Amino acid sequence: MPTTVTYPQARIRNFCIVAHVDHGKSTLADRMLQVTGSIDPRKMRDQYLDRMDIERERGITIKAQTVRMPYRPLGDVGDEYLLNLIDTPGHVDFSYEVSRAIAACEGAVLLIDAAQGLEAQTLANLYLALEADLEIIPVLNKIDLPAARPDEIAEEIGSILGVEPASIIRISAKDGTNVDAVLDAVVDRVPPPAGDADGPTRALVFDSVYDPYRGALVYFRIVDGRLRRGDRIRMLATGFEGEVDTLAVQSPDEAAVDELGVGEVGVLAAAIKSVESAKVGDTITRAGRDAAHVPPLPGYQEPLPMVFSGLFPLDSDDFPLLRDALEKLRLNDASFTFEPETSVALGFGFRCGFLGLLHLEIVMERIDREFRIPLVTTAPSVRYRVTLTDAPGEDGLPRTVEVPNPQDMPEAGRIATVAEPTVTARILTPKDALGPIMQLCEQRRGEMLAMDYLTPERVELRYRLPLAATVTDFFDQLKSLSRGYASMDYELSDYVEAPLVRVDLLLNGDPVDAFSAIVHRDDAYHFGRTMTERLKELIPRQMFDIPVQAAIGAKVIARETIKARRKDVLAKCYGGDVSRKRKLLEKQKEGKKRMKSVGSVEIPPEAFVSALRVSRDG
Amino acid sequence: MGRLTAPDTADAGTPARGWLDAPLESGSAAGFGVYLHVPFCHHRCGYCDFATEAVGGLADDDRDALLRRYVAALERDLATQAATVGERAVTSVFVGGGTPTLLPPDLLARVVGLVGRELDVAADVELTVECNPETADVDRFAVLADAGVDRVSMGAQSFDAGVLAVLERRHRPRRTAEAVALARAAGIPRVSLDLIYGTPGEDAAAWRDSLAAVLALGVDHVSAYALGVHANTPLGRAVAAGTVPAPDDDVQRERFDDLRQLLRGAGFVHYELANLARTDALRSRHNVLYWRHGDYLGVGVGAHGHHDGRRWWTTRSTARYLAALEQDVADGGVARDASGRVRDVTEEERLDDEARALERLLLGLRLAEGLHPRDVPPIAREALESAVADGLVTTACGRLQATADGWFLLDEAVRRLTA
Repeated sequence: MPTTVTYPQARIRNFCIVAHVDHGKSTLADRMLQVTGSIDPRKMRDQYLDRMDIERERGITIKAQTVRMPYRPLGDVGDEYLLNLIDTPGHVDFSYEVSRAIAACEGAVLLIDAAQGLEAQTLANLYLALEADLEIIPVLNKIDLPAARPDEIAEEIGSILGVEPASIIRISAKDGTNVDAVLDAVVDRVPPPAGDADGPTRALVFDSVYDPYRGALVYFRIVDGRLRRGDRIRMLATGFEGEVDTLAVQSPDEAAVDELGVGEVGVLAAAIKSVESAKVGDTITRAGRDAAHVPPLPGYQEPLPMVFSGLFPLDSDDFPLLRDALEKLRLNDASFTFEPETSVALGFGFRCGFLGLLHLEIVMERIDREFRIPLVTTAPSVRYRVTLTDAPGEDGLPRTVEVPNPQDMPEAGRIATVAEPTVTARILTPKDALGPIMQLCEQRRGEMLAMDYLTPERVELRYRLPLAATVTDFFDQLKSLSRGYASMDYELSDYVEAPLVRVDLLLNGDPVDAFSAIVHRDDAYHFGRTMTERLKELIPRQMFDIPVQAAIGAKVIARETIKARRKDVLAKCYGGDVSRKRKLLEKQKEGKKRMKSVGSVEIPPEAFVSALRVSRDG
Repeated sequence: MGRLTAPDTADAGTPARGWLDAPLESGSAAGFGVYLHVPFCHHRCGYCDFATEAVGGLADDDRDALLRRYVAALERDLATQAATVGERAVTSVFVGGGTPTLLPPDLLARVVGLVGRELDVAADVELTVECNPETADVDRFAVLADAGVDRVSMGAQSFDAGVLAVLERRHRPRRTAEAVALARAAGIPRVSLDLIYGTPGEDAAAWRDSLAAVLALGVDHVSAYALGVHANTPLGRAVAAGTVPAPDDDVQRERFDDLRQLLRGAGFVHYELANLARTDALRSRHNVLYWRHGDYLGVGVGAHGHHDGRRWWTTRSTARYLAALEQDVADGGVARDASGRVRDVTEEERLDDEARALERLLLGLRLAEGLHPRDVPPIAREALESAVADGLVTTACGRLQATADGWFLLDEAVRRLTA
């Protein structure tokens, strides 16, 4: 039976936990569920809020989750408080989603690993929380670990937040120590939601997920007014209108309610066919004549893919399957885009846009796991902005084109300038790794903006880097140079002109479109040489010599030759065993059918996978 | 098992299946052979992935008992299979291993005499026994000669001590010459040497020296194989671990080119990819039978048989083989399967025409003379044109043949022809 459980505005606390991966956010959330009695102990499982397998395995949260926990501090004789924990995604690729989740809260628990200290991503999210005027409750976790350095790290946080180190709550989410103190602090220090209980309804969408039975499930926080089951609603940005057929809270299992009031957090379904119609950051209001006059909540952005990659089925027969898979994923992920693409080398596939490299990897992994389609993925690319030498447009300005795919780069003669997207990266590192990390940033064409010692041991570096540099192995390098201790976060910055060129790879004189890449002029030779050498290794020898060339336009910058194969015969059919040999040949014939052809050169699809992995690793 | 007589001739002579049902040289026209396998070796060489059983570690009595049990099982196995053959006369017998000459002389005599006791044998039957220079001696050669063995195939492998060491062959290079002399002295007319080339560590000079040594011995037949590395062998594991370099295809091709140049220069006929004979008459008939897609019984552990598109093979486990054959003796053969075979030791496959076409080509094109047009399976025009255009095969002489270059690229040629 649906129930109406409304809490007075003054008794509601909406908060999130800002933490780095592995710093114990999910464990703390689990513990809060237990301490508040929100979860039946027999149903408890680890990381209750992380629902997707990928999230559990990677220890990251991709989609926001919420949970509502009634709580009365010990020694408090008044009514219960309603705590809404809004669990935020944990990666830079999803920082817009993080910002919307933060906007739905009044307070944030800043959770720091007492052994690891502050990480760049946490710092970035902390700044988001501070900008949104959230009350920050700093908490040191994992104080039970032998490697914990709580005093040192409390100093560090104290100096950043300007609070007394002694006031920072020290907990062990693992064994439950002091978790109640965190809840008490949320009650005491996080302000109750402001907002007009009687005004026109405005609710902030901070997440939406696709449910095959109910359509998009929309997670929202009511900013003004109220929502009832049966209400006809309108999404101000997408224009969607529909009737709320499910209104629920998560506590943590879904529980239907009839009504939610100002300041409350819930989830609704309204026969919304795709998350496309319920985008993060949008404003829900009640449909009707007045809807047009309701001002939208601030901060809405269209999701903007930043990283692009071609996805091709390894087996071309899988193309329709891949299209279906992408359509299904898109239902659940409005920030992921795709459009058909044809490659001479790889056949039919899709050009896909992602928020970042992790987002790309997650989509790949889901295609592999949920749809089991083997893929060839071209090297991630960014969207270049090319100014042409063509006659100016009608507005008198030089014509420009956006180039998200190296293959679409205009020919050199038409290019006046090329600009690339850059990011401002914040890197936190122990000072021991400072030298190698600065060297890495220089190598990747970084420009240092600032360097600050947070403590005598820890340094914050700020660099402007090409976005393209961050979609290679940059992050892995950073980790390996600092033995895992450095961390990075970035935000998008301006487009900056750079001497960028397209390097093509040619086999037997025919360009292999899938291998084309846009690189800095100074890196072109190295890239060309690496790729030609790798292709020479990866492409099996054929009946004739195959020149492998890297070229900028018509100019060849690197060349290798795959020598013609001179032996391809099995020696012996021992003791009359013809079956083994025949089966081997049959298998080879199967393999031959799967080959991709570039001109007269046959390439096993696996060679594309390996070569493209190399080109991605810079 | 059906009777190994002429195939069902209902469709014989129809143009589409003439290559199968009424071949001129291939298949049933190629003769009828028997392969007998003796799996025992003193030790298992590092490159070997054949069905072998190392018995060097056994006490003399235990080894002797095992060998006797095996020969008895072999007799039972052949007798069982022979009952299905009918009137067909055996044109070649090959006793291989393992190391057949590891058998004591009396057992060796029993094995060699087996076929003659159980089957009709053609007057000009070729009877070959594989010999290991290490174990062949005067007594054994005498036994072989008495039993009518007219050909021995000697596992020389190389005349380079370093290469023999990599292969884990225990004989010294000189020992091969001694064994050849002993075989001749015993009155065995035809001697063939087995060679392996492209072994890691073998350089061009070592290979040419081995070939010169072969020529110096005046043997009438040579089988020379490029070393193949199999993952499940000690050599395969060493290559995988990087402690031994993998054989190089280009190097093996150079060795192959040296082989054919030097031996042809000395008058040999290079009649099959890996086999050369002093004259056409000295070709290995048993080998040619395999390449002509012929019929043969396979007797013993790991042995393969073929009859008209059906292939069968025996377990590689000596223990299972012995147990099953001894049980068959004990129960008087009542537990045989529908084909009359001893249960649990054989598997078989029946090939469709497509698989048989693939086999016809992959086998027949190994012979220098290739295939008679009548025996060639249907080949798509574009497939043939592609293989001809790339110089893999030729039809210039009125037969389908691999070219001089295409021979060592035969797998590619066959894939093209059957694409």
